[in-house]
Amino acid sequence: MTDREEIEALLPFYANGSLSAPERAAVEAALAEDPSLELELAALRAMRDTLQAEAPRSPGEFGLARLMRDVEREAQPAPARSHFWQIAAAVALAAFLGQSLFLLGQRDAGYELAGEARDTISVAFAPAASESELRSLLQSLGFEIVGGPSALGLYEIAAPGRAVSDEDVEALRASHLVEAADLAE
Amino acid sequence: MTDPLAPFLSAIAAHDKAALAALYRQLERPLYRFILSRLNDPHEAADILHDVFMEVWRSAGRFEGKSKVQTWVFGIAWRKVIDLRRKTGRMDMPGETPEIVDDSADTEAALLAGQEAAHLRHCLDELGDEHRMAITLAFYEDMPYGQIAEVARVPEGTIKTRIFHAKKLLLRCLSGRVTREVAG
Repeated sequence: MTDREEIEALLPFYANGSLSAPERAAVEAALAEDPSLELELAALRAMRDTLQAEAPRSPGEFGLARLMRDVEREAQPAPARSHFWQIAAAVALAAFLGQSLFLLGQRDAGYELAGEARDTISVAFAPAASESELRSLLQSLGFEIVGGPSALGLYEIAAPGRAVSDEDVEALRASHLVEAADLAE
Repeated sequence: MTDPLAPFLSAIAAHDKAALAALYRQLERPLYRFILSRLNDPHEAADILHDVFMEVWRSAGRFEGKSKVQTWVFGIAWRKVIDLRRKTGRMDMPGETPEIVDDSADTEAALLAGQEAAHLRHCLDELGDEHRMAITLAFYEDMPYGQIAEVARVPEGTIKTRIFHAKKLLLRCLSGRVTREVAG
């Protein structure tokens, strides 16, 4: 940066009052010599005032209540039920996948697995995945939830306007938010 | 100078929920405004704010006191915002601001004449993530450049360069919009 650029870079911090004394003196010396810098400083101050006048409605006490609820939950030992359901879901999914492979093995020799298209994908999400994380994942891949959760926590995922394929399954499996995914029967 | 928020963090490290609530009340509004300024989605911003304080609760014991508490917490928020934007494919590169520029306009005079929050909001939205982060912390929170550098985990010179370019892009964007409005 040239000396002039350095002064220009310091101007926003002169406007917010956070410069050290030597830096402030350097900026003030430059301001005294260059009227265009004074105009820029006025513009920056107007910008700062405008931004600071904004007061978006924040979650406030509702957000604090949510925080305290989750902190309390985290402090509790995990209930046995959740482990049971995780294990049950894993066993059921393994059985489901095993059955799928068995049925595939019964098909005609000429049947092509690669590129197979179906209507939906069965997905088990990671227990810690938040709603917003799942929403972001599904939106980024162009999917929507069309069924579930089942009693075992499986969701049916579809891509609006088209069939889903092995590539879609792989895209879901690549996410840390997904524990298991497979084309639905 | 002692950090007035440091005692809260020490107490949170000892699992004092009242201290967490006190720190939340101190930082919730500026943090939410900072997060919202980049995400533009109140629900996502509220979720990130929640995640930030959950991480503070879990990680307070690892705070080493090398920076101000405010800087440390804003750093957590910044990294969560960036992670979310990367996951959702919304990450901007610096300097991506569209050139909606009328170079003949007197930038400063146009801004002074306009001073309209809507124009400023639009032009801020057009900045890349890193440019916008530096400007919002400088103007929303009055942070010095050294503190912004700690939040972003980059050298101070990088923040000065980002501010220099962000300011130019903002002023040119504002000039273009105000000039078009006057002409229209």
